[in-house]
Amino acid sequence: MIRGIYILGQDGNMVYSKEYATTDSKSALIEFVVSLAEFLSSVDLEQKTESMGLSLSRIFYTVHNPFTFVFVADKADDAAQIEERMGQIVEIFLKDFARLAEANQPLDGFEAKVDEIAVTMVKVAILGYAGVGKTTTLHLLRGETLPLIHDPTIGVSIKKLPEEVQNANIVLWDLAGQSRFSILWAKMIANAQVVIIVTDSTLENVLRSKKLVSLVKEEVPNAKVIGIANKQDLPTALTPERVGQILGVTTFELVAIDISYRDRLIQIIRKAILEGKDESKAS
Amino acid sequence: MSYRVLVKEDSSGSNIYAWPVFLILVEEMPEAVFIVQYDDYQGFLVKKRHPSTSRLDEETLNLLHVAHEEGDEELRLHDLDNRRYVSFKSREYPGWLVGYVLREETDFGPNRELYRGMSRLMLALMQVSPEGVDLNSIIRHERTLPELTKEQRLAKIYFTPSSALLLERLQEQGVESARALNLWLSNQVQTDNINIKEVVRPLLESGVVHVEIIEGKAEMVFLLRDIFGYRAPPVESLLNAKAYMPHISDTYEGYVKDFFSPAPPAKGYNPTIPIDEPDSPIMEDRERVFEVIHDNFNYIVLESLRDRPKSTNMISEETALPKDIVSDVLGTLESERIAVHFEDEKMWALVTDPTIKTFMPEYILPTIARRVSEKKLDRDAARRYLQLLMETWSEKND
Ligand SMILES: Nc1nc2c(ncn2[C@@H]2O[C@H](COP(=O)(O)OP(=O)(O)OP(=O)(O)O)[C@@H](O)[C@H]2O)c(=O)[nH]1
Ligand SMILES: [Mg+2]
Repeated sequence: MIRGIYILGQDGNMVYSKEYATTDSKSALIEFVVSLAEFLSSVDLEQKTESMGLSLSRIFYTVHNPFTFVFVADKADDAAQIEERMGQIVEIFLKDFARLAEANQPLDGFEAKVDEIAVTMVKVAILGYAGVGKTTTLHLLRGETLPLIHDPTIGVSIKKLPEEVQNANIVLWDLAGQSRFSILWAKMIANAQVVIIVTDSTLENVLRSKKLVSLVKEEVPNAKVIGIANKQDLPTALTPERVGQILGVTTFELVAIDISYRDRLIQIIRKAILEGKDESKAS
Repeated sequence: MSYRVLVKEDSSGSNIYAWPVFLILVEEMPEAVFIVQYDDYQGFLVKKRHPSTSRLDEETLNLLHVAHEEGDEELRLHDLDNRRYVSFKSREYPGWLVGYVLREETDFGPNRELYRGMSRLMLALMQVSPEGVDLNSIIRHERTLPELTKEQRLAKIYFTPSSALLLERLQEQGVESARALNLWLSNQVQTDNINIKEVVRPLLESGVVHVEIIEGKAEMVFLLRDIFGYRAPPVESLLNAKAYMPHISDTYEGYVKDFFSPAPPAKGYNPTIPIDEPDSPIMEDRERVFEVIHDNFNYIVLESLRDRPKSTNMISEETALPKDIVSDVLGTLESERIAVHFEDEKMWALVTDPTIKTFMPEYILPTIARRVSEKKLDRDAARRYLQLLMETWSEKND
């Protein structure tokens, strides 16, 4: 996946930069990108895109005077695919934003376009206390046999969703709800575009889950957050409206052990992903 | 563990050197090794494994990971389902973990440092040339990357920008309360979420500062040592070349002379000339010195060359670094005018020896006296500062 996009101007100044996942040696990378741009100004690439390996990354670069474009992707990525996406972004920039950049004006609207092309992986985190039905929800989404006993998740279980939404692979992070794993939550929701907070719809559990909503707002303020009022088949269940009121986020009903909820749930997540994109555009 | 010393002749045949070889018994080797990188999108990615058929399930990976979240220890021993695992995670390599599956008969206790050193080497190599990392050879030959030396800890300060800034402040003030430093730094870098403990850490770990609560009042940070980085002449290496390698010794001396005392009108390198202009060549050169010492592989090769000229092979064997990395590093050192190459003899030697030394910041004493008289510094803190400086510098002078 594309990890970073850097556009440098005439004197090696950074005109635009965006990073998609925390890379450990960020400052070293930026330093490298700047000196790469400096070096490229002395050779003529004839507007071709070239690439080179750097540790675990692959760096793609091209020059369209006066701009140098540098993209950082994973070494394991399909290079042709990255180059194609890079080509699209370069074209949009040159057509609609180059003049603004040259005049030192803000590049309004560029970020959203970049996201649309560069984000090929959507992270959806499923958060909630032990036994509320997170893993069951994951299996339901993947169309797998539904577990009827509670086999607690250890740490996190990460699975892909076969569906594609806007060219994006959806990765589901099913976080363990047991309290001994709570130290992982804050770090593991990092970079999630959507966070689903699952409750079992009992009053006690929903009240406790308010804390999870605050955690998410604090750690990933740009993520789209939705609530799930699960176990609606049980007599103790609060209505989804009531659960939503308490949590303070849009909440949907669910019976995760009932396969007939599958399509509805998929639509909800699709919508959340799209809305998440819109919201980050607005911000 | 069995142990013996091998005696070998080097390629020139003129010198004999010896180094110890640890022969590791099969039952003491871990059954499997994994290098894992945590990725915000894809989770745990096993980047390398040995043997290639070994597997580590998601649950085990999670449990190793969680244990490190709970505490600060770099190395941990786990007992999961009657199997023992060792895992290594370090602040130096965020997101990376090395996991070992131990054999039933392995005695782990005495090998802690070994596992720590091997893990450090694996992760350091992963950062520069992941393809070339040979886990089997590392565990078989017990190759390790040593802990940061004192010099490296000093160099590290300059690679933590806020710490370097804080050092500059202390060079003006001598002693200051942690709170005041925090305030000053926040002002300098224009944010309010500074973790002053993290900023002070490199200074503390290198012995440059001391932190103490004075009379139950404020937490004070004292500057005990100031730092000086320069290029020293490679004295030991020159002497050994003269004694054992007469065929290169004259040329070698010539190279060193050219750098330090060339024929006039050229001026040689003189680190004691005071530097007033911020961009004077010496200042830049000092940064180079810090850079080379800070980088693990550069430093290991530099250290290996400090006693005498050596071939790439000899350095590789002595340091346990793969030959291609040694060659790369030597190339870098050559372009930095640290190493020179004797092509016919296939030998490398130091032409300058980057060195970091500390010295007593006595220049600060008048400032301290002035600050006390202006009531800007607590008398107790000043008295304690003098005492600390004396304790630090009276016995052994480093
Ligand atoms: N009655 C009913 N039971 C459900 C429903 N959804 C899940 N369960 C049951 O709740 C139990 C726990 O489900 P899991 O999905 O394993 O719970 P979890 O949230 O993943 O728990 P942790 O992994 O420990 O955090 C299982 O026995 C499920 O069969 C539901 O809608 N109704
Ligand atoms: Mg679960």
